[in-house]
Amino acid sequence: MDKEKLLKGKIPCKETGIEVKKSICSICNPNSHCGFDLYVKDGEIIKVEGMKEHPVSRGTLCSKGAATRQYVYSPDRLQTPMKRVGPKGTDDFVPISWEEAYSLIAEKLNGYKIDFGPEAVSFFVGYSKWMRPYVQRLAQAFGSPNYCTESSTCFKATYIAWKLLCGSFCTPHMASTDCLMVWSNNPLYTNTPMASTIFKLKDSGTKIIVIDPRLSPIAEIADIHLRIKPGTDGALALGMANVIISEELHDKEFIKEWTAGFEDYAEYVKEYTPEAVEQITGIPAELMAEAARAYAGSKTGAILPSSASVVHHTNGVQNYRAVFMLSGLTGKFDKAGGNIMNTYSYLESTSGFPTNQEAYMHFKDPADMAPRVGADKVPVWCEMTNEAQAMFLPDQIISEDPYPIRAVLGFGMNRKMWNDTKHMKEALRKLDFFVNIDIFKTETCNYADIILPVCTSVERGEFKSYGNGYCIHTKPAIEPLFESKTDLDIVFELAKRLDIDDELMPKGYEENLNWILEPSGITMKSALEHESGFMAPFLKAPEFEKYKKSRFKTPSGKMEFASGILKKYDQIEGIDALPKFLYPVSSPQRDPKIARDYPFIINTGGRLPMYLHSRTFRLPWTAAMRPVAAADINPEDAKRLGIEQHDDIRIFTPHGEIFIKANVTEIALEGVVFVYHGYPDIQVNGLLPYTYRDPISGFPGFNSFLGNVEKVKKGEK
Amino acid sequence: MAEKYFDLDLDRCVGCFACVVACMDQNDTDVIIDRPFRQITPIDSCYTAKGKREYLSMACMHCEDAPCITGCPTGALRKDGNGLTVVEESLCIGCHSCAVACPYGAPKFDQEGRLRKCDGCAIRVENGLEPACVRVCPTGALKFDTQENLEEQKRAQLIRKITK
Repeated sequence: MDKEKLLKGKIPCKETGIEVKKSICSICNPNSHCGFDLYVKDGEIIKVEGMKEHPVSRGTLCSKGAATRQYVYSPDRLQTPMKRVGPKGTDDFVPISWEEAYSLIAEKLNGYKIDFGPEAVSFFVGYSKWMRPYVQRLAQAFGSPNYCTESSTCFKATYIAWKLLCGSFCTPHMASTDCLMVWSNNPLYTNTPMASTIFKLKDSGTKIIVIDPRLSPIAEIADIHLRIKPGTDGALALGMANVIISEELHDKEFIKEWTAGFEDYAEYVKEYTPEAVEQITGIPAELMAEAARAYAGSKTGAILPSSASVVHHTNGVQNYRAVFMLSGLTGKFDKAGGNIMNTYSYLESTSGFPTNQEAYMHFKDPADMAPRVGADKVPVWCEMTNEAQAMFLPDQIISEDPYPIRAVLGFGMNRKMWNDTKHMKEALRKLDFFVNIDIFKTETCNYADIILPVCTSVERGEFKSYGNGYCIHTKPAIEPLFESKTDLDIVFELAKRLDIDDELMPKGYEENLNWILEPSGITMKSALEHESGFMAPFLKAPEFEKYKKSRFKTPSGKMEFASGILKKYDQIEGIDALPKFLYPVSSPQRDPKIARDYPFIINTGGRLPMYLHSRTFRLPWTAAMRPVAAADINPEDAKRLGIEQHDDIRIFTPHGEIFIKANVTEIALEGVVFVYHGYPDIQVNGLLPYTYRDPISGFPGFNSFLGNVEKVKKGEK
Repeated sequence: MAEKYFDLDLDRCVGCFACVVACMDQNDTDVIIDRPFRQITPIDSCYTAKGKREYLSMACMHCEDAPCITGCPTGALRKDGNGLTVVEESLCIGCHSCAVACPYGAPKFDQEGRLRKCDGCAIRVENGLEPACVRVCPTGALKFDTQENLEEQKRAQLIRKITK
């Protein structure tokens, strides 16, 4: 074949000079991070595809990963370090050298430490997560308890719900389950490597139950789809428990031996009869009962929760606790095919090999530092996690109560993550010193004093482990573009320049990674020998019924239907030892006066397949999949309001308004409007006051609040 | 070599757009001026035979008896050795006869009015690689294989379902 043709087909071979380089994607959720084969010619990526040898993604990608070239070569990339010269909020910056940037940052942060104490400096990490253990260590070494992350609105509340129940994080043991209960999750869009597992289960006759208000693709393949009203998951779980207990499908022996608080719980669920639950959730009583029987009656059954949807409600943690209890109630807990207690190996991957990560990240006793941001507002969060609650960062910056926050060192901070985005804007304006480190020039960067450019995953080397024990340490497929550096270059350079109390960090990345990985038998050097990754050497097969050896790490040593930890805080409104169901704070039941004028439920945070937060909007390929910003609205609602496809609509709450197009679709449940959260010009999170939070986790109630919709007449907008 | 066919399993297509973007990446599609070769059409449940919402990922169907080839007056369209319908762009006169003949709307035209269409990644296929859209597909809905292998895969899937 002639060279021209080979080049046209982008065929990697000697004639074309196209080389295939191995890497991983890190646009989305760290448990997916698909393997890449990057076609590189003359130092430039000319095509991407999935890495076949990667046992998690097996050669496949999602639409976001497939658009990687436009992500890497985006004209919005930050190119050099910059210093602000104009007023905050404007785009007035001048390029500076890395040396000047580092000196300025070190001088400022060390100064605040002397003048106000180390807690006056907050460290923040957004997405993705590869730098997190190191930034957390840096913050503690500096003496600041105020390390916080994007996990203040994602995942951690699900983790807290499990931990309150059984003292451990749990994962679904999906390989051998007879019944998979997917509770408000759509992995077919958000975790595409899981798609093959799901279809394999479906092909082999596993019963799939999906709880989702939307007609999502996973709901379409389900045996039973419970189309729930947003925010009522707790009531549904209690209703299922009601059916299970009244039909004696519960595991009496496990309950007697290994649980605490069952009597009170059983008494409480009596209120939640199928008929009562139908009223609350909108799910037909008989269908709900059928799902309860299917799950309870299956030999093994696993719950696949999500990181955000259920916990983005003002009663989110309680609702997920009620859901997770079904695993203990039916005796499927910590057994093959059920939900099993698990520990992290590296980052947040439960890879089945030991590491020193816990000790690395938490090497200072929180008691030796000032109270964390949020300590007085969300004490349960503080007891269950080792991070500050970032949602309260703007509150404290503005109020200076209990002490002032002067500076933020942010890795990929986006103020639109906070509800009431104006509140965070006010806080950023007030900060003395804000450093934002990002791949792209985002709107939040306009509030920074210093901006530092970082590179994407294909321009760096990183260690990564997956749920099946597969590991890889990538090498840069191309050199970092422009003057960008890796996040960890910055972390370890600052470790040399900041006033820190740690001998390990100044030694650099390789020594630190090796320290973390020491018990695993993996070193950076050994990992780098395997271009396409390798299976970790000391892999443990999953263990079951571990509580029989070590009991549960809860106050009672048992699985708790009534939480000992929540009981300590039950004087706080919305907290109770039992998994009490409460309607969303903004709902017709709790705010009937508002409901009269705001009859719709607004739900924001659900994902579209081609977008991940605000990251892939700027890519023409992914943006072309839905060229106009549009909210999903049910055809019946649209008809009633005279709204047609792509009409301009106004969505408003007592707190704010947005203008967007309508996407009339049966995917949306009647009475609910779904707005994707990351559109650059539409601040849907601004429809909520900043106080709209779950009192246990501090998570914003993004997934259910009252609002109204109207058609915008031509020329009115 | 036995001819290969594109196959879409409607029970597995979830409308994730991975195939559409992978096609754009392979063909350097400029979405501002070019029409994408592959598109996904969601079909509301009230219109589908199974009463379920479905997603249809479609590009050139590479028909066995391709009407676009018959319709092309200059011989710009032809079958390659693997059964793919490919275009010799220099022969295209931009008459749109292929577009009139095609029942699927597969032919697209560039700014000069010349035909550009999905060629099934013919050069990749000739070099032993899968079409980009097939390689990327996370659910395994989109396949490119011989009739015999496609049938075999369907049989195996059915047997798995029955035997458990």
